[in-house]
Amino acid sequence: MKQGLYNNFYRYLIDSFDKKQAALTYIESVNLTAKRNEAFSIFKEMGFPTRKYEEWKFTSLSAALKDELQLMIEHDHSLINTNRIHSLDAVHLVLVNGRFAPELSDALPEGITFYDTQATLAESRFADKISTLATEDDAPMLALNTAFFTEVSVLQIAAHAIVEKPVHVSHVFTVNDIAEFVPYRMLVIAEKHSEATIIETFHSDSLVHPLFVSYVCEQEVHESAVLHTHMINTLPENAYFVQHREVFQYRNSVLNNSNIALSDVTLLRNDLNFQLKDVGTETNLIGAYILTGDQHVDNHTLVDHQSPNCNTNEVYKGILLDTSHAVFNGKVFVRPDAQKTNAFQQNNNLLLSDQATVNSKPQLEIFADDVKCSHGSTIGQINEDALFYLQTRGIGEEAAKKLIMQSFIFDVILRIKIESLQDYVSDLLNKKLNTENLTVV
Amino acid sequence: MLNITNLHSSIEGKKILKGIDLKVNAGEIHAIMGPNGSGKSTLASVLAGKAEYEVTEGEAFLDGKNLLEMAPEERAREGLFLAFQYPVEIPGVSNINFLKTALTEIRAHRGLPELTSKEFLKLLKDKQELVELKSSLVNRSLNEGFSGGEKKRNEILQLAMLDPKLAILDETDSGLDIDALRIVASGVNKLRTENNAFVIITHYQRLLDYIIPDFVHILYDGRIIKSGTKELALELEEKGYDWITQHETGTV
Repeated sequence: MKQGLYNNFYRYLIDSFDKKQAALTYIESVNLTAKRNEAFSIFKEMGFPTRKYEEWKFTSLSAALKDELQLMIEHDHSLINTNRIHSLDAVHLVLVNGRFAPELSDALPEGITFYDTQATLAESRFADKISTLATEDDAPMLALNTAFFTEVSVLQIAAHAIVEKPVHVSHVFTVNDIAEFVPYRMLVIAEKHSEATIIETFHSDSLVHPLFVSYVCEQEVHESAVLHTHMINTLPENAYFVQHREVFQYRNSVLNNSNIALSDVTLLRNDLNFQLKDVGTETNLIGAYILTGDQHVDNHTLVDHQSPNCNTNEVYKGILLDTSHAVFNGKVFVRPDAQKTNAFQQNNNLLLSDQATVNSKPQLEIFADDVKCSHGSTIGQINEDALFYLQTRGIGEEAAKKLIMQSFIFDVILRIKIESLQDYVSDLLNKKLNTENLTVV
Repeated sequence: MLNITNLHSSIEGKKILKGIDLKVNAGEIHAIMGPNGSGKSTLASVLAGKAEYEVTEGEAFLDGKNLLEMAPEERAREGLFLAFQYPVEIPGVSNINFLKTALTEIRAHRGLPELTSKEFLKLLKDKQELVELKSSLVNRSLNEGFSGGEKKRNEILQLAMLDPKLAILDETDSGLDIDALRIVASGVNKLRTENNAFVIITHYQRLLDYIIPDFVHILYDGRIIKSGTKELALELEEKGYDWITQHETGTV
């Protein structure tokens, strides 16, 4: 069982747990403390995951888990760039190092309520929900977060509320003086018949020292609710970002998620789990990544069809350059009760360097007999015919290749329905490919 | 303008072109006809610079510049245009921005400034009328979901926009209905000037009823075995390719 990594940072965490908990005794509920203790014992036992763990077979955290990492302490953030998206008409909510910054945030429109850490912990209906959607049993990174998170917030969309304006939750991280570890989480509750859009960006201007972020997001999408979610990573080099997201979908609900990594983040690991608890749900997942240098991005998605008549559609596309490494692991479970399931999954990669690596693993486990499921995984190169065609029109080889790369990713970006957000992501794409002068649209 | 001497080319060791000689002057239209597998499309691909084809012998010059030493994009910038037999579909690249990018590159090579959006759109509109291509197609992804005829008309639209010295039309007529054929032919006729030239590769004489060539060459087994004026195309149509092949193998 002892296959984990038990380094200096691990020992530092183990040693600091009791002291940290002692300080929280009067703030946290007994329930939460019990959960933290349980999670702590799981983490203590399992250690940090290594490649010996099946779920971490292609992603090593050893370079990320610096010996000198410390739990994040207070920062002055009076001068922080809050990463507002120009031209996006949205309500801006700023979390600095996971903590709500009211002075930097806009007031919320009717129908949506935000609870900061203090308010969340004071409300047992929220506090007791923490870690009931995402459960740690064999997930040491999730257990680590549950044991150590300091900030937790809640976004609640009221029943029947139609919130027209997107809420932009801007996660920003301050420039650090030492290597730091930031574990925090969020709970999103979309009550029945509600509709809202939540755009999450993850940003830091630049990082001199390593920043290790552990973010857990639990979401409930209740009956007939529609929740549009976007995750856009603009973290710089030296950022290591590990996210666990657990979404419960109830009867006839719709959940859309886009997962965009066109940044210079050093390591990104997403575990995105969608549990379809009741009939008639729809889940649309899109993802895009372009990796350069030594970047490593690992997307693990799990769509768990537990009920009949649910539809899921997943498209992830990525481009690998230099010595980068991408992992896609797409699990689809169709439980015995989940008849009439429609599940479609696709992961396409352009592997453009001899030194880059893609591990793409579709994983369908189907236990019902009346379902439509398909998956496709491709790893290819630039289409030579397309390249030649563009060249014969006077477009240079490099520019032609970039045009083809842009169009490859653009196929995903076009599915983002908010035009100004689509423009923003297109700009990230152009910046990543260094193609400000070329336009695809 | 175009000067090809003793051009040999092979693909994966298989010899396709076995010594082509061709001279095209400004203002001329040449038709190259020949049966399937004679090397017509190979000649077009070699001139455009497709990497799979190896040139084993011979030369090709465009206005004194050695084509064979240039990358495909340089050939295009020097004024060579190939209308593809099978235009490539490129999803996600919009036709209009592709055209603008291409035109900007070619103009830059000629020392001309980039057109403003307004100038570009004006030019595009004029040329679009030439090939009767709907705006909805111009705004779509490059060739994606276009019918065969639309793809070919789109090739001629690109030709019109990029204004090359020498245009090679590789079986542009194949798969076209008579209306589309007339549109393509009338587009070419309108684009024809004293300063440019066309090489029209075709299997059939039909297109040559609408685009009258100055010269007709018959390509067979990698060589031009007969050259003549437009009457040669008619003779070929009447007697069929067997006439040529029998002629060549000495059975007549």
